[in-house]
Amino acid sequence: MQFAMFRRVAAGGAVAALTFAGVGAATISPAYAASAKVSVVHGIPDTPVDVYVDGKKTLDNFQPGDVAGPLTLPEGSYDIALTKPGEPVGQAILKVDAAKVPGGANISLAAHLSADGQPRITPFVNDVSKVGAGKARLIVRHTAAAPAVDVRAGGTPVFQDLTNPKEAKADVDAGTVKADVVLAGTDTVAIGPADLNLKEGTATVVYAIGSAEAKNLELVAQTITGLHSAPHGVPSGSGGLAGTGVATWWYALAGAGVLLLVGGGARLATARTGRR
Amino acid sequence: MTVRHRGALAAMAAGAAALTAAALVACGSQPAEDVGAGEVAALASPTPAPTPTATGAGAPRVPVNAGTLPAAGETIEPARLSIPRIRVAATVDPVGVDQRTGEFDVPPSVDQVGWYRYGPGLEATAGSVVIAGHVDSADQGKGAFFRLRELDRGDTLTATGSDGRERRYRVVAREEYLKTKIPLDRYFARDGRPRLTLITCGGPFDPKTRHYRDNIVVTAVPA
Repeated sequence: MQFAMFRRVAAGGAVAALTFAGVGAATISPAYAASAKVSVVHGIPDTPVDVYVDGKKTLDNFQPGDVAGPLTLPEGSYDIALTKPGEPVGQAILKVDAAKVPGGANISLAAHLSADGQPRITPFVNDVSKVGAGKARLIVRHTAAAPAVDVRAGGTPVFQDLTNPKEAKADVDAGTVKADVVLAGTDTVAIGPADLNLKEGTATVVYAIGSAEAKNLELVAQTITGLHSAPHGVPSGSGGLAGTGVATWWYALAGAGVLLLVGGGARLATARTGRR
Repeated sequence: MTVRHRGALAAMAAGAAALTAAALVACGSQPAEDVGAGEVAALASPTPAPTPTATGAGAPRVPVNAGTLPAAGETIEPARLSIPRIRVAATVDPVGVDQRTGEFDVPPSVDQVGWYRYGPGLEATAGSVVIAGHVDSADQGKGAFFRLRELDRGDTLTATGSDGRERRYRVVAREEYLKTKIPLDRYFARDGRPRLTLITCGGPFDPKTRHYRDNIVVTAVPA
């Protein structure tokens, strides 16, 4: 049933023109950017796939709810195809031709359902800028066949009116939050609540996947590490008992010494020439 | 020899004496030299994990993880720190960052030292476990790390984890940095070889701002 739907989509070419160029441009750092990091997130329920990159099988029997990567891809254009496990790439159920991968970017490819339940691939550019010391980044992506939602932490909406296939993000204090997803503007819980451990110096990317109609909405998470910053300093003394170095008045003494030496010498010299 | 001569000679003698005294003080108060800086840099250099490429030779192996929500990791916190050489036996508190200043939140009590709880714990197989403590304080006197600058290569210390297990470390470096120049990213790194980094204040003290100019950093590796 679901596969039949896939084939229709692929045949119709609904997603064939997809490129990452637009979304990627903002985060490219050209100086050293020759390759990109690409992760793949499987958010289509009940549909294991093989993933082909340029006709080459890259992921075998990739399961819904799994996250693959990151894979380092040189900057360039790639053909990406998803097949039913074991089927030839020619019988792809979902594919993207000549997808542009910009250098230096960190990208997540999400295979997921659109708001109206159609399978598709959406590229997201991950914000991998550093977070402040003590902070963690939370990124939430609506990739489910569901209407607009709010994301709540501890019962308080933090991201509101998020629609498929958009994301919302914030840098928050590291720690564990109890999060749930509700239909936008309501208290009707669609997913959760779930404990989210937001580890300091990481980005936690949470995908809402599945279908509201099929009642299989759930969360898939991807964690990006290495975004930590050092504290601004280590202030660890205010007494002065351990002070080293030379106090100012020693410099003054040295200065006075120099003056006396030069002055005395000059006086001697003038006295001698005067007598001659 | 005239009176004038004598005065001039006396002035020169006094000048020489003043200079000598000042020079002696200057030399005497030089901080101990840095040792092991090269080793610290080597320890910090990341060990890059080879990332798979789709276009490389052979079948690429791409890591696949279940996209489960991240759970809290098992971290072994240092609970006690013992450095016999400088008579340190201190309680270690897990601390973070001062919300206002963004600085390391060193425990207010100078008898205690603080472990940077966002960084690696004692179980870590990579990165720098950071413990910082006061050298002294205006109202409490000498702190736990008052004599940290006396540590030298080869000295040993013991960190006891929250699991009760003692872990021994050997000092490989002692460095002093201007606070404005200290490469904090290196000491708060989460990659590179596993190591323990102890930090306190040092160098000249400014009585007006009540701050030390420098940080003293001691690096130790598992013994």
